Amino acid sequence: MNKNLMYDVVVIGGGPAGMAAAIESYNQGAKTLLIERNEKLGGILNQCIHNGFGLQYFNEELTGPEYALRFVELLSKTKVDVLLNTFVIDINGLNVTIINEKGQTVVQAKAIVLAMGCREKTPAGIMLTGSRPVGVYTAGQVQKMVNIHGKLPGKNCVILGSGDIGLIMARRLTYEGAKVLEVLEIMPESGGLKRNIVQCLNDNNIPLKLKHTVTRVVGNTRIEGVYVAEVDGFTPKLETEKFVKCDCLILSVGLIPEVDLVKNLKLNPKTGGADVNEFRETNISGIFSCGNVLHVHDLVDNVTYESKLAGTNAAKYALGKLTHKKPFNVVAGNGIRYVSPSFGYMSEKEDLMIYFRLSSRITKSYICVKCGENEIYSKFVLAANAGEMQKIQIEKSKINGDLTVLVRGQ
Amino acid sequence: MNYDVAIIGGGIVGCAILNKLTRKNLKVVLIEKGNDVAVGASKANSSIIHAGFDCKPNTLKAKFNVRGNELTFKLAKELSVPIKQCGALVVGNDLNMVNELFNRGKANGVKGLHILNREQLLTKVPKLNENITCGLFAETSGITSAYLLTIALAEEAVINGAEVKFNTKIKKCVKNDFGYNLIADNLNINAKYVINSAGASYNEVAKILGTEQHEIEFRRGEYFLLDSNIEPLTNLTIFPLPSKFSKGVLITPTVHGQTIVGPTSYESDNTTITTVDGLNEIKEKAVNIIKDIPFNKNIRNFSGVRTICGDDFIVEKSTKKQNIINLAGICSPGLTAAPAIAEYVAENLLGFNNADKKMKKRVPYTCLHDLNEAERNKLIKRNPDYGKIICKCECVSLGEIKEALNSPLKPNSVDAIKRRVRAGMGRCQGGFCLTKVIKTISENLNISEDEVVKENKGSNFYVSNINPKK
Repeated sequence: MNKNLMYDVVVIGGGPAGMAAAIESYNQGAKTLLIERNEKLGGILNQCIHNGFGLQYFNEELTGPEYALRFVELLSKTKVDVLLNTFVIDINGLNVTIINEKGQTVVQAKAIVLAMGCREKTPAGIMLTGSRPVGVYTAGQVQKMVNIHGKLPGKNCVILGSGDIGLIMARRLTYEGAKVLEVLEIMPESGGLKRNIVQCLNDNNIPLKLKHTVTRVVGNTRIEGVYVAEVDGFTPKLETEKFVKCDCLILSVGLIPEVDLVKNLKLNPKTGGADVNEFRETNISGIFSCGNVLHVHDLVDNVTYESKLAGTNAAKYALGKLTHKKPFNVVAGNGIRYVSPSFGYMSEKEDLMIYFRLSSRITKSYICVKCGENEIYSKFVLAANAGEMQKIQIEKSKINGDLTVLVRGQ
Repeated sequence: MNYDVAIIGGGIVGCAILNKLTRKNLKVVLIEKGNDVAVGASKANSSIIHAGFDCKPNTLKAKFNVRGNELTFKLAKELSVPIKQCGALVVGNDLNMVNELFNRGKANGVKGLHILNREQLLTKVPKLNENITCGLFAETSGITSAYLLTIALAEEAVINGAEVKFNTKIKKCVKNDFGYNLIADNLNINAKYVINSAGASYNEVAKILGTEQHEIEFRRGEYFLLDSNIEPLTNLTIFPLPSKFSKGVLITPTVHGQTIVGPTSYESDNTTITTVDGLNEIKEKAVNIIKDIPFNKNIRNFSGVRTICGDDFIVEKSTKKQNIINLAGICSPGLTAAPAIAEYVAENLLGFNNADKKMKKRVPYTCLHDLNEAERNKLIKRNPDYGKIICKCECVSLGEIKEALNSPLKPNSVDAIKRRVRAGMGRCQGGFCLTKVIKTISENLNISEDEVVKENKGSNFYVSNINPKK
């Protein structure tokens, strides 16, 4: 094996997750390689030219590319090796097969950090029916067309799904002279951030139709319009169906962690990402995961916190400094859709950082953590949406057994 | 320009005839209204090479299916098109019907048929539904890629002298001293013989040619395409016992490792929509074969339209106009039958009995995905573009896309590239690579990105620039 191709830690993906993980891995003293498939670092942040990034982590409001640039600069001060335009095509144990302009080769790692992000649900993912003309895109595709390629895919757009990228694109398309006719959401509430609904839709007089969906796409060569109907649960009420003429349908219907590269990865069925311990280590010893490939985040700041943790621990693992003793479970209780991580270790001194999502919107309730019968944490919440990821930090000294995160009333 | 034969319609049948007549050393032109070959029924079907037990004996379907099966495996190998003789099962719990199919197959001359009991079936497909008691196993059945076969047939023909005219809709046909004068907005040619293989547009073309109209029924078939990363359901094609209208909802692997479930069979006009009812019907019916099908791993729903004229294919000389061949109602097993139809048209109907000429070989597309490490390294060393991955799901490189853009039919649409090298065929359906493919096409064909189309004329992706110059 070529010595140059042996690393303590190999980080896959050069977006915000991968960059933060690589920097922390290096800071722990590990020889680190960061692999990115695009020609530059930053990942999806590069096409997110709107602001609102970094309010928590940097205490200031940055655009996506600016947020990315902060980490590109930090990275340039380290000795992390970076491979751009490089694809990982296989991960076999701790061997990473890469392909780039120089050829195909295997990189040997002592630990791997998965930071490949997520992909968008496609029309097939929601069984969108009707015809399949040009003009049906995912929100991320449209974001790339507009912000990277400087092209407009349509002038009269309907957006299906009120996920954050859809909301952001509603505003962006409006600014660029397209008309966003309506945003449809099948659920009774939007999964997007409150601030995005206000700033992107309300401020631009774009109607958000809750409990509505597209029943079919019309048009042979180009999309000519869509039929829209109210839903009862998930079933369209066909008597409410009406035709909306448009030249572009944009889907913002969900994101799926891009985990397919890793075989035998134990997944959390709720997140679609890996099931991890508090170090963000997967069921495969030495493989760590963070960012949107672990679970889809709504704020990049949280990605950064999580990824620093994964990078630190991957380095510790590679250097033989990580101990896994006295495990305890972390379980999603009443009102909680999922928790990540799903277990921790009492032998670890660092605080336990739990990320979770609510099953539905709550008002005037407590979010608590129970250890056995003892409530070791509680926080009063005036109101919180299911779409907004929650985060709590627990001191290790308080933990002596399995934890349950739950919502309770007074 | 004068030609021996003009073929109207570039589906599998038209392209098989184009290829065969080129082998007969004739000057042939294929006229296609779309922007590529295989843009109608030939791109949206199950891609099964049928054994031939299903057709009624003494029909053209039976005759061309059995002969076509043999020819297709030979042709696909010659043309380096992916094909696999994986066999097929027809399963159910009506042993009488299984026997009937077996006997029908025997009568049609199908070899390698076996009646299997449940235990024997389970050795082939462990996941079979518990209600299935018996079935027919057909050794000679197989799978291919219908559009790749169509493309390869046309490419080989073009390399060997045939011509293909895309975006060309025949508007007028006049008898003249040479034969026929065919006129389109962008074409004016003469041909001694004309072949109508326009598929769903048969009658439209027949009207222009002044030949027989046939009553055509369209039956739409909808499908699910499941991701390649699911736990394999089956490594051969499984049909339910057939109904009057179709071979039923089948489950089959594709030659590219994905899984197809479908089709439905709905009376329809010639539109390839998918419907909630249709997709639900597939889900309901397919579980009768295999219970736990991961429909949540659906990466594409699509549909195709079968063109049906009564019970059999129509493969005939026009009696209204001399030297015109009518091909209508080539529904299933049309893909399998195509090379046999081509042979029959060339040798029997047109009387070109001379031996096939030796054809210059078609160079198959490089497929990085299928190469080993040493082969990949050699390739990338020769041309670094093969190390630049554009489509992450199917592992397609820039080099492969450029190769496709320079291939014999000179494809220029995103879907044409997708069919040839699979960029955008995977689980993200172009979410990652679409804009890169558009850019690559624009750069390599020296056209603006705004001119790049998805499939046919008018399917441009972009409607304007951001911040247009004022």
